[in-house]
Order: sequence, then structure tokens, then C-alpha cells
Amino acid sequence: MPMDNGSCHRYCVYGIEIASDSPLALPQYSHDTLGHLECLQTPAPIFQQAIDTIVFESRSDSWYRHAVVRDGSTYVAWDLIGEFLVAADGRRIVCRRAAGCSAESFQVYMLGQAISFALVQQRFEPLHATVVVVNDQAVAFLGGHAFGKSTLAACFLEAGYRLLTDDLLNLQESRDGIRAYPGPPRIKLFPGIARRFLGAIADGVEMNPDTNKLILPIDEHRSCSRPVPLKAIYSIAAPHDASRRHDLTIEILSPRRAFMALVSGAFNRTLTGRQRLTRQFGMMARVTDLVPVKTLVYPRALDRIEEVRDTVLDDLRRDVGIARSSPDIALAMLG
Amino acid sequence: MPVSFSDCVRVAPDVLFRLVSDEGVLVNLNTEMYLGLNPVGARMWSVLSEASSIQAAYEQLLREYEVDPSELRRDLEEFIAQLHAHQLIETRPDAG
Repeated sequence: MPMDNGSCHRYCVYGIEIASDSPLALPQYSHDTLGHLECLQTPAPIFQQAIDTIVFESRSDSWYRHAVVRDGSTYVAWDLIGEFLVAADGRRIVCRRAAGCSAESFQVYMLGQAISFALVQQRFEPLHATVVVVNDQAVAFLGGHAFGKSTLAACFLEAGYRLLTDDLLNLQESRDGIRAYPGPPRIKLFPGIARRFLGAIADGVEMNPDTNKLILPIDEHRSCSRPVPLKAIYSIAAPHDASRRHDLTIEILSPRRAFMALVSGAFNRTLTGRQRLTRQFGMMARVTDLVPVKTLVYPRALDRIEEVRDTVLDDLRRDVGIARSSPDIALAMLG
Repeated sequence: MPVSFSDCVRVAPDVLFRLVSDEGVLVNLNTEMYLGLNPVGARMWSVLSEASSIQAAYEQLLREYEVDPSELRRDLEEFIAQLHAHQLIETRPDAG
């Protein structure tokens, strides 16, 4: 299904050139890209044909469904959002927006979860991280869903720092170390957090019917649209672990614990297989070699979030070495 | 699984190991499990995977570390048992 060039929109996100048959809220294409991806809207019967005989790997009562199709494509769908078919080589996504779903909400899923399958198939290893730019260097906050990554990033935006990406971080090794690539210029925040740190939220759009989280566009003055070197990764402690703490701590992780944190912080933990694991093993070891990874533990109290931001900024100013006993084994699983 | 110190250790097929600084990381591509080793564990892994027998590895490590021999023997046995449990190594009689 070659794209009709007359209706082709060309963008750049995560370092990838996107050719889409419908407009997307993304920066225009630039020539310095790492890969290429086509995004095409397709009517429902195409999906029905593709998934006719497949067995879903997610629970039947889940609003999210995922399966690998016979030709190696990946099918992912969310009720009330839409469905996506990602080609086995990761170079094409065909998609269908559900009736009633906003374009903004659909794009969050397409340019988040769905594109993560394409990125992994194209041999990238995206991390689950929100990233701000401090002194022209990327500072990543790594953590799972509802760990507070976006809230902390919003606090940095309030102080005049720019957003590089919210939720999905694509990385590439370059001559000057590891480079972090910009994501869509938007952030997902609860209304109260958005009001506090961004001011007006009139242009916010609900992310999905099950949450009041808003999708908020970030203008060019508060977002960064070019890749920047990755200065540090802060692995945010789970809210459950942090809730009993009153203190705020940053500790550098030993190399093996840094590696484990990175593996656990993979954005896409669904795709496995020998090739993917081999590649992920190599990439995460390189990131461990080149970028300090630290734990960030703080109480989940909004009135202390500026203190967290300032502590991170202080930490970035310091030059901290990597801390280095009977043998010890630590374990992690991807899936 | 009891091991004889006259056996030799071989890294199981489909296991990748890499040093990160002085520590070690591994992945077993069959079980899809990642593991991390502290500096002592990483050194034990390297010596065990290169030595002609567990006994030879034990003697090498005894030269490297200031440690009570019986303590090192116990640590090494426990370490090998853990590596076996995670299907990271195979042991077989020393070919000589």
C-alpha cells in the first residue's frame, strides 16, 4: 500500500522520519534522522482480516489487546482509542481511530505504545522516561506508569527548563556519548498539576475516558526539538516505596544495578526473543558504561516537588563518581 | 546439584556476559532472565569460565583474595549452585 505523496505529511519524532497520510501534532521532518516510518489510516475490515485467526496474549476483559500476527506484524488495540498493526520490520504502522476518540488522544497511543513496537523492530531500545533539558544536556527521569515523571518534569518547565520528551525516550550512541531524541511536544498531566506548573489548561484534551489526565501541547519555547547528549538518568523510586520516606535522596547506582534499572525501565517489555534480548543487553551495557544512573527517592508531596527539582539541579552540578564484598547476584526479567 | 572440584565449568549456550566496570551482567536468552554480579561475583565468573577445573579456579582465586580457604570454598560452591539454578553454566568432568 504505497503512500500517495500528494497527501503525505512528513514529521520527525524520536529521531525517526514519519510519513503520515493524516496530520500529526509533530515537528516537521528534518534531514538528520535515524530511521523511517509510515503511518497510514486504514478502515476496520483490514484489521478484521489481519486478526481473524490470532490468539490474543492479553486478558479478554482487558481494554488493551495485543497479539503477534502470522506475518510477524504486531497488533495492538485499546477500546475507545483505536487499533494499530505494526509491520514486522517496524517501518509501517496502519491504524484506525475509534469513533469518538480525539485526535490528540489517538496520537498519544500511536506515538507512545504503538510506535514503541516499531522502534524495537527497527533495533532501537526506547526507555520509559520523561526528559528535560538542563544546560543543553538531557536529564532523564526513568520510571513506570504513575511514578511521577511528568509531574517532576512539569516542575522543571515552570523553572524555565525545556521538555525533550514525555514518557518515551529514544537513545542512540554517537561520537560524543549517548544522545537523547525529542518526542512529541506535549505532556500528560492531571489538571491540578498542570494548573500549578503550566498555568492555563484550556488547550488540554482528556487522554482517555478512564482518567482525567490531560494532554497539553508544549510550545517551541518550552520544548526542545533537537537531539541532545544524555547527561544523567534518575531512576525514580516507586510511589509505594517512597510513600514511607520523608527524606529526599539521590544515590548513584553501581554498574550492575544501573544496568538492571535500565532493563527494567524498557518502554516496551512485550517484545522479547533472542535478537531483541541480545540487542537490549548490548545497548543497556553501553548506556551503563557512558551515563551515570542514580536512584531518586522522594516523598510524594506536591509542596516538596520544587525541593526535589533543586536537589536534582544541585546533583547535576556535582561530579559524582560511581560507588563501587562475597559474590552477589541480582535478577531482573524483561517481560 | 553437588559438584566435584575436579569438574570444569563451561558457560551455557545462549548466555551472554559482559563486564560493566568491575561488575558483571548476564542474560540467559532461553529463560529471558537478566542477572548482575558484584565485583567478586564477576571475578569468580571470569576465572571459573576460563579455568581448566573448579579446583584450578579455586586456587587462582585463593591467590587473588585474602580469604580463609574454607570460606572461599563455601562461597564458590554456593556461587556455582546459584549459577546452575539459573541455567547459566554447565559442569562436566575435566578433559585433562
